[in-house]
Amino acid sequence: VERNIDVGQLRELMSQSQDLHSDAMKLGVRALDDYVDAAQQARVENSGRHRAPVTIGDRRRGFVVPAIIAGAAGAAVLGTARAAFAGATTDIQALQTAASLENLAVATYRTALTLPFVGGDAANPVVKKFATMTMAQHTEHGTAFNAAITKLGGRTQSNPDPRYAPVVTAAVPTIQGPGDVVGLAITLEDVAAQTYVKNVGIVSTAELRSLFASVAGVEAQHKSILLAVQALLTANAADLIALPPVLTKLPAAAGSVGIPDSFYPTDKASPVSEGAVQ
Amino acid sequence: VTRNRPEPMAISEAELTSMTRELHDAHESSFGGVRATLAEFADNLGEARRAALSRRGLLMGGGGIAAAAALAACGASSTALTGATSVSASSSAYTGDLKVVALAAAMENLAITAYDGALKAAGAGTLGTVPPAIATFITTARKQHSDHADAWNGVLSKASLPIITGAPLTVTDSTMAALGKATTVTDVAKLALSLEMSAAATYTFATANVKDAGGIMTAATIQPVEAMHAAILNFVLGQYPVPVSFIGTDTAVKLDALTR
Repeated sequence: VERNIDVGQLRELMSQSQDLHSDAMKLGVRALDDYVDAAQQARVENSGRHRAPVTIGDRRRGFVVPAIIAGAAGAAVLGTARAAFAGATTDIQALQTAASLENLAVATYRTALTLPFVGGDAANPVVKKFATMTMAQHTEHGTAFNAAITKLGGRTQSNPDPRYAPVVTAAVPTIQGPGDVVGLAITLEDVAAQTYVKNVGIVSTAELRSLFASVAGVEAQHKSILLAVQALLTANAADLIALPPVLTKLPAAAGSVGIPDSFYPTDKASPVSEGAVQ
Repeated sequence: VTRNRPEPMAISEAELTSMTRELHDAHESSFGGVRATLAEFADNLGEARRAALSRRGLLMGGGGIAAAAALAACGASSTALTGATSVSASSSAYTGDLKVVALAAAMENLAITAYDGALKAAGAGTLGTVPPAIATFITTARKQHSDHADAWNGVLSKASLPIITGAPLTVTDSTMAALGKATTVTDVAKLALSLEMSAAATYTFATANVKDAGGIMTAATIQPVEAMHAAILNFVLGQYPVPVSFIGTDTAVKLDALTR
């Protein structure tokens, strides 16, 4: 079954990938923590219950600290906090919608992995590994978004996106092969990436902009690989979906089909309140 | 680009080319929105710069040299990029958001120069046989970087600042030297991957540190594209194509890497 790949090599790569992934995960969580701290401070201020000077925790590094330490520390933090408070509702909705898209993606990949041609013995090993790894990455995105919602005092989102969940539900019974799964996954990855790109311009703080951007790029990467896989499946060349690939056998168009845009579009982005908890 | 005749392909090139054409059409339809965002961004920055220059002229005319210097320093440091050298200490014509724009243009130009160098080396046979898919990737990625550079330079031009030609970055010489030593497609792919990852990280950073809404969105729409380039290059190198769950800023090009 695993004729196209060195399984030992892939496992090693996956292990390395997990290490890198863990480092990046810390980065994303740190960005969220910075944002949450600012928003919570704003709530304290606006409630009038606490007027103590703002302190910066030692763990604040990277995104926020240099600007704060560079002088006018209190003003910088309070400014960030006020901005965060003003946009808190929108920010929570954006996080809830993001979590709902991640929940749907996780559910879709989980379902796909139950299919013999994605997660079974008949599956291409690269496709199977990709589905497994991508599901894990979406799980981490969802966990991060919900953690931030909790810290902000909002209600976590455990349901799938209400607009696209019925689409997936309707599509699953019609799936006949890996190409159908890949097509569905491309749609979900693209909607998520477009939503996060658009959210970068909507949310209220630099830290949250950075977070949405950092996740948008990953969803776009998922889409890129899926587009390449889709093209090879469509052309009845599943045997070329291998890691490492046999480069000399790939058609010329395979080098461009996964990178269709110079600027990532946002016309399919979900409205910020689409997945908000009611 | 190939020296040797490629092996027969087991799939329909025409079918894949058709799919690529459909995606290209989709790209063209999304490009209009980006142009509008860029135009607004350029107008905002141009207006801000002209206002700053006007204020500075008034102060200088009144003998307020110290005040003018303070104003310039204040404006220049308005974009606080993490880990970067203070812009206020620089004699660069590019300040604030426009410094980030200039850096982005230079970074895109470096990518273009590197891909041009790769194509030239491939044509000269230095890299051995270059698979058709690799040649197409390089050509497509190069075009997209050119679109990005044009976008950023358009902003500079509208702000009445010199556009960025070439790649005035501290890392340019070492990058091109490494390219000059490349003897295989793998060597080139590794170098390109490094550039693409740095670009993606820099744009992640820019989304948090640029102040103008148009500039933020422009960076946000380019970042995923560089990330997609990196995914394909990882795949080409036989590495897992999406190795991290969050694209960080560790490999971002710093502001003080701009030498102009």
